[in-house]
Amino acid sequence: MDLQYSASDRDFRQQARAWLAANVPTKRRPANGHTSAQYDRDWQRKLYEHGWAGVAWPKEYGGLGLTGLQQVIWYEEMARARAPHYINTTYVALMHAGPTLIMRGTEEQKAFHLPRILSGDALWCQGFSEPNAGSDLASLKARGTIDGDDIVVSGAKMWTTDAQHADYQELLVRTDPESHRHKGLTWIICDMKSPGIDIKPIRTMLNDEHINMVFYDDVRIPKSNVVGEIDGGWASALATLSLERGLGFIGDQLELYERVGRATDMAGKLRLEDGTLAIDDSSIRQKLAALKADALAIRAMTLADIAETDRTGQPGPKGSMMKLLVTSAHKALSELVGDMMGWDFLEFDGDRSAHPWTYDYLWSWVFSISGGTNEIQRENIADRVLHLPRAR
Amino acid sequence: MYLAPDGDELEIAQAAAGFLAEAMSIERLHGAACADMSADLRHSLGSMGWFALALPGHAGGSGLSAVEHALFFREVGRQCGPVDVLAQCLAATIVDDNALRSSIVSGDVGVALAVGDGTGLRIFGSENAAFMLQLGRDRSDLYTFKNSASEPRASLDPATSIRVSDRVPTVASSETGDRAWNLGQLGTAAMLVGIAEASLDQIVDYAKVRETFGKKIGSWQAVRHPCADMAVRLEAARAQLWFAATAMKEGRGDAGVHLDAAKYLANQAALANADTNIQLHGGIGVTDEHHAHLYLKHALVLARLFGGRREVLGRLLHAEVED
Repeated sequence: MDLQYSASDRDFRQQARAWLAANVPTKRRPANGHTSAQYDRDWQRKLYEHGWAGVAWPKEYGGLGLTGLQQVIWYEEMARARAPHYINTTYVALMHAGPTLIMRGTEEQKAFHLPRILSGDALWCQGFSEPNAGSDLASLKARGTIDGDDIVVSGAKMWTTDAQHADYQELLVRTDPESHRHKGLTWIICDMKSPGIDIKPIRTMLNDEHINMVFYDDVRIPKSNVVGEIDGGWASALATLSLERGLGFIGDQLELYERVGRATDMAGKLRLEDGTLAIDDSSIRQKLAALKADALAIRAMTLADIAETDRTGQPGPKGSMMKLLVTSAHKALSELVGDMMGWDFLEFDGDRSAHPWTYDYLWSWVFSISGGTNEIQRENIADRVLHLPRAR
Repeated sequence: MYLAPDGDELEIAQAAAGFLAEAMSIERLHGAACADMSADLRHSLGSMGWFALALPGHAGGSGLSAVEHALFFREVGRQCGPVDVLAQCLAATIVDDNALRSSIVSGDVGVALAVGDGTGLRIFGSENAAFMLQLGRDRSDLYTFKNSASEPRASLDPATSIRVSDRVPTVASSETGDRAWNLGQLGTAAMLVGIAEASLDQIVDYAKVRETFGKKIGSWQAVRHPCADMAVRLEAARAQLWFAATAMKEGRGDAGVHLDAAKYLANQAALANADTNIQLHGGIGVTDEHHAHLYLKHALVLARLFGGRREVLGRLLHAEVED
């Protein structure tokens, strides 16, 4: 075991820290609408122009070609610098679509899409879940019928984050109507400006409209947009999901430590309803310290997992464990800050920048449901880590 | 950077597991007069060199690091090993006198662990011990020990006997600094991680064979999900244990902070996993013949040694870590 950073790792940290300190936007991200998507595109464009786009991407595709450990350093420095949150409208493009295309796309698909994703010109959304298939993706029903050089798509997708801002979608449809479960699915690049697509926003408990229902009425998509094989989309979908469950939340994992620090600083200034300073309340002190220990453990788990992945070239099955721990620690931290803030915690209009702690409290449910509910993560652990008898 | 046991470290862990399963299997705790280290066990551990594990090479030790120390005590924890094993290892590291040190390392003399309890000393370990070791964050003292001066007390934990003493003991050897304390904290955290692991392994094995309502209980979500939570708690505590051990080995300035976090997480993981193990076993889980309660009772002792919950959290709150 060792904890040594190489000289190039340390150099990388210094460069990242210096660049972020000088370049992190001072302007707050707008709360909603196309102005927030434009803010994300502008930030991504700035990262791109200064050579910081695609931290997880190989160099040959325009990324930084960083090792897992250097990615950890990058996200730690992003959290320290309070850079714009990386889970924004560019997230699916950078963290799912791009890496999936790199693994399974054709040369034409890569040449067209990858530069647009890196520069922030193309935003993507995910079209996996459906109204009757949340975490159970094998029961998808949206249909793709082969018609000459096109696939004609009909049906509906659900929980599609940022569909209204997206240029493209990673769309999973059933191309073999006789097929069952995970067979007969196809992963297609869908141009969101195609005729026949109708987007209906779903207002969430966060008082925003970032998720949508998307309807497809005979949407024609060229067969050349298929990623992987027709009817062989499950393998591509698994590639996408392993990205999400592996390092997809790495930033949140590492950011937790910074957030506990901010909450502790806040406790040193906030007065509780009876006039005592929050930090003088022993229950608050103990909970803050316990969350700090959790944050350190999450960092240790992340470093262990990344070292293992760098060494073997294979992500381990620990993504589900980290996601469970991170989502529950995030929720506990929000609840604690809520206790400290008292009545002010209840003032909220959906603006994340203006009310970060209340937003994150409400977000904690989204976080523990999206990308596979916490219950599904427990099932994964029971199956893949503990090898318990199958429940299904 | 690599944060998991590797190469020689794995071999040492396997050797320790094999040896301890023979020499002090948890089965012993179902027999009579089972607490603490017997003179035979002490000699057996000594002859294999386990008490010299954390001792530098120039002092006759194995020259291994905090990492191997943690790997060994995790295996000790899995068998609910006696607290005196730790006291014996730590005493070897603070003694300057060559003759005394070699008799500790060989197991010829025994060392119990002493902790201030507000009015006097609370002593954990064998009444045949010739010495007792009291550790603080800034100094460690080895005292000579007279049996007549202590009074036995009832002990919840079958693996550990307890005596109290209000006598001011005679110092045999002392050391300033936090080295021995840190090794003690790491060792107890490692034993607690071993208990958290053994508890999870026990219920997972049972869930694969025991059937209710016509199905293996491991296929019911009411069992699967608490087991998954046990695995997550364990993984967090174990990852932080490796981090703390490695930080100590490499002499990082923030090693103490990582040790406090490791101890807190190990306390929580061992107690919660021992609790869930009993619960998911159903009726058999509360019987004396089962191991499940042994893990819980031993964890209750270890969780209070080298930093209980309040103490470590109090230090952690404003502590700073390095990159």
